[in-house]
Amino acid sequence: MSAPLVEAALAPHGEGRAGEEPATPPPGRRWRFWRRILFRLVGAVIVLWAAATFTFFVQTLLPGSRATLLLNEQTGQQKQYTAAQLAPINHEYGFDKAVIVQYFDYIGGLAHGNFGTSYEQHQPVLTIIARQVGPTFALTLTALVFAWVIALALTLFTTRRNRLLSGLGSGLEIVTAGLPYYWLGVLLLVVFAIDLQIFPVVGGTGVTGLILPALTLGIPLAGFLGQVTRDEFEKVLEQPFVTSARARGMGDLQVRLRHVLRHAVLPAITLSGWALGALISGAVIVETVFARPGIGNVIVTAAQSRDVPLVSGVVILVAAVYVVANVLVDLAYALIDPRLRAG
Amino acid sequence: MLSRTPRVALILSIVAVAATLSACGGSSTGTSSSGATAAPTSNTGGTPQQGGTINYAHNLEVPCLQGGWVEEAYIERQYTDSLVSQVSSGHIVPWLATSWSISPSQTTYTFHLKPGVFFSDGTPLNAQAVADNFYYWTNPKTANGDVDAYLGPYFKSAKAINNLTVQLNLKAPYSPLLSSLSQGYDGILSPKGLARGVNANCDDPIGSGPFIIQTWNHGQNIVFVRNPKYNSAPANALHQGPPYVSKLIWSFIADPTTRWASLTSGQSDVIEDVPTVDWSQAKSAYNVQEYVTPGRPQTLSLNTDLGPFTNQDVRQAFAYAANRQAATESAFNGEIPFDGNGALSPSTPDFDAALENSYPYDPAKAGQLLNAAGYTGHDAAGYRTKDGQELDIKLVYGLGSIVNDEGATLLQDLQQQWKAAGFNVTLVPATLTQLFGGAYAAPTAADATIGYWTSPTPAVLYITYQYWNTPGDPNFSNSTFYDNAQLVKTIAAANSSLNPATQKALYTKAQQIIVNAAAAVGVYTKTTTLAWTKSLHDVWIEDSQGEPVFSDAYFTK
Repeated sequence: MSAPLVEAALAPHGEGRAGEEPATPPPGRRWRFWRRILFRLVGAVIVLWAAATFTFFVQTLLPGSRATLLLNEQTGQQKQYTAAQLAPINHEYGFDKAVIVQYFDYIGGLAHGNFGTSYEQHQPVLTIIARQVGPTFALTLTALVFAWVIALALTLFTTRRNRLLSGLGSGLEIVTAGLPYYWLGVLLLVVFAIDLQIFPVVGGTGVTGLILPALTLGIPLAGFLGQVTRDEFEKVLEQPFVTSARARGMGDLQVRLRHVLRHAVLPAITLSGWALGALISGAVIVETVFARPGIGNVIVTAAQSRDVPLVSGVVILVAAVYVVANVLVDLAYALIDPRLRAG
Repeated sequence: MLSRTPRVALILSIVAVAATLSACGGSSTGTSSSGATAAPTSNTGGTPQQGGTINYAHNLEVPCLQGGWVEEAYIERQYTDSLVSQVSSGHIVPWLATSWSISPSQTTYTFHLKPGVFFSDGTPLNAQAVADNFYYWTNPKTANGDVDAYLGPYFKSAKAINNLTVQLNLKAPYSPLLSSLSQGYDGILSPKGLARGVNANCDDPIGSGPFIIQTWNHGQNIVFVRNPKYNSAPANALHQGPPYVSKLIWSFIADPTTRWASLTSGQSDVIEDVPTVDWSQAKSAYNVQEYVTPGRPQTLSLNTDLGPFTNQDVRQAFAYAANRQAATESAFNGEIPFDGNGALSPSTPDFDAALENSYPYDPAKAGQLLNAAGYTGHDAAGYRTKDGQELDIKLVYGLGSIVNDEGATLLQDLQQQWKAAGFNVTLVPATLTQLFGGAYAAPTAADATIGYWTSPTPAVLYITYQYWNTPGDPNFSNSTFYDNAQLVKTIAAANSSLNPATQKALYTKAQQIIVNAAAAVGVYTKTTTLAWTKSLHDVWIEDSQGEPVFSDAYFTK
């Protein structure tokens, strides 16, 4: 997680003027809007390029011969080979070219939308990713929804209540935020799939098989989002406009839902952009525990065999998810905070 | 992510909870068909039903659907046929070859093939196809690592005499030939398929076996469909003709808790590598079979070429310093046999049982041997030293591929005992990438490694102890780097001996040389376990490698 992002997220937002509509946008606003879009696009390209470059060099410069790996995988051995034995493989995959030449070949291909062919699966990288990305997206998005539902319910119903309820709420958040995926996953599996037999053990891609894996990813994130929202929620509850709303005779739940929550969720929304990417890395573990197909399994196998095009392809995909998620976060901000809508 | 140790402990504790929870739920009836035997036993029950899908959960995925790793042989058994099959006691029975003759010099084998057999691509399985396979296996560019290890040094030529007669010529007599040909690696592939090149044969190999590969969903499963024209089952099969079931889904479920749970919840019909904590429950509630793989067991190969283990006293001290038997029993809950004979596993023909309890736990003797080797000092941490240098041992193990989580626990136990004796053992878990990348193949990489080499014959010794240090062609299968002229000669003489009694004596002598030198220190046997649901019958484990066989299996209501 990047520190500045979190600091930005934790900084107090909106000082109680959320309901007011701004005046007509001054001239130049439109230009600034397009400039912002342009910067975003350039930034996105740079992020993707950096991700591809980093992955390429890490994979390529690791010690050990990739040709040896491929030969041993094909023959089922663990041995070393003579240079003469390795030469044909090195030539076939282009490992005998200078690393920098291999790099430009690769980046050049990417620029033309060619992600290359997996060394191990002998299929186009995009085909492999397209086949596996669906279950992972379904998993991470469901997990995000679960996380928000749990976090919001905890915040709305336990913040600033009696001491017991508030303590329970924030205690739950602290505990769940620290739960490791592996432990939680196996626990949910044992209780709900094996003992109570409510859900299938190996879920495949069906809806019932999605619940437990999504909860495994969603519960720790809910704790995290809940903690952030609760802090903000408590601050906002003390704002004068809350008091004035109450003075107008508004009910407690109404106040919490319509006035306080709108301010308090902003930091959690920022975090959701980051969380979507983090959930994909968590999916690696969850997919193993629940034997689910998905991108997590792909990257583990690919990294094991130093399948450079496939690993890079998945990393670029995850980077793209971060970029898109952050754009979505910006849009969500504008929806919730009308001051940003015009800009 | 959690670090390794707590994770292992966690799995065990959670599995224990799972076992307790589900133990309350099910009342089991019927008898278990457990047995250390590999002979197919028909577990009676009901009339065979045509159709149905067997959901099988295997513990790992392989990079290639054929090749020289035993995990690949398991898969090859499903879609290929071999020339011959082996039954327990090492006896060979017909398969694709209905009969064969051996010349008096034992250098020419003539195989007569079953007529009317076709590969699933329609190519006829004839003498030329078999000859093509021999050349494919032994050609360095396309070699099958396992077949080539057996056959390479002896292979001279293979040719079709007529449409259904193939002749194999050897450079020297090789008595284990038929045993070695019975393994899954030696399954005959379509020559038309072979011509597509190595990659196509990795992803979509074509055989004549009971099942046909439909799709390989990477990271998830392999879907096999019934070969409706199957007419070439081995003589030891429980029925001839196509499989009863219409589909076999071979899933990869790495997590032991999930794998076991997939069986108890009914999502899998058969699982491999049953967690040992669940084994007793498996025996009462499911059909089970256990198979102790012959060949080299899970052995500590000590580096005799470089480092502290070049000294035989230090190697023997290492063997005496830890209670390997007790540690094995504890790590595997008493379910997996200890094997103190580091050369061969107890299920290998000509195994020398007298070596089974070599180097029993004896810390005093370990101490004396270390003193004799000059490791007389102790440093602040309590480790032995020689000329001020600490007795450091780097032990590499393939975690998740060669050694499972329970095996890793065993190594941690041994590590503590070695520590008490003054060895500073560092355990280095290696990934499949590192192993396949050859990172630990050379003697500079580690002081000790642990690993098996599955084989139906003691001739595996020729593979694992042929000279390591051969210029231009080092033998990396010799993981102890132990080059002993007398040993190599003894094994070669055994391989080519025409007299079974002499052969047994020679293989016994070879085991004694290896164990007495403590080049390899035995720990446990590579054991395959299967558990399957009671409505499924006639699943069996074949004898040469422990490959699961599903072509005779059928469901009853």
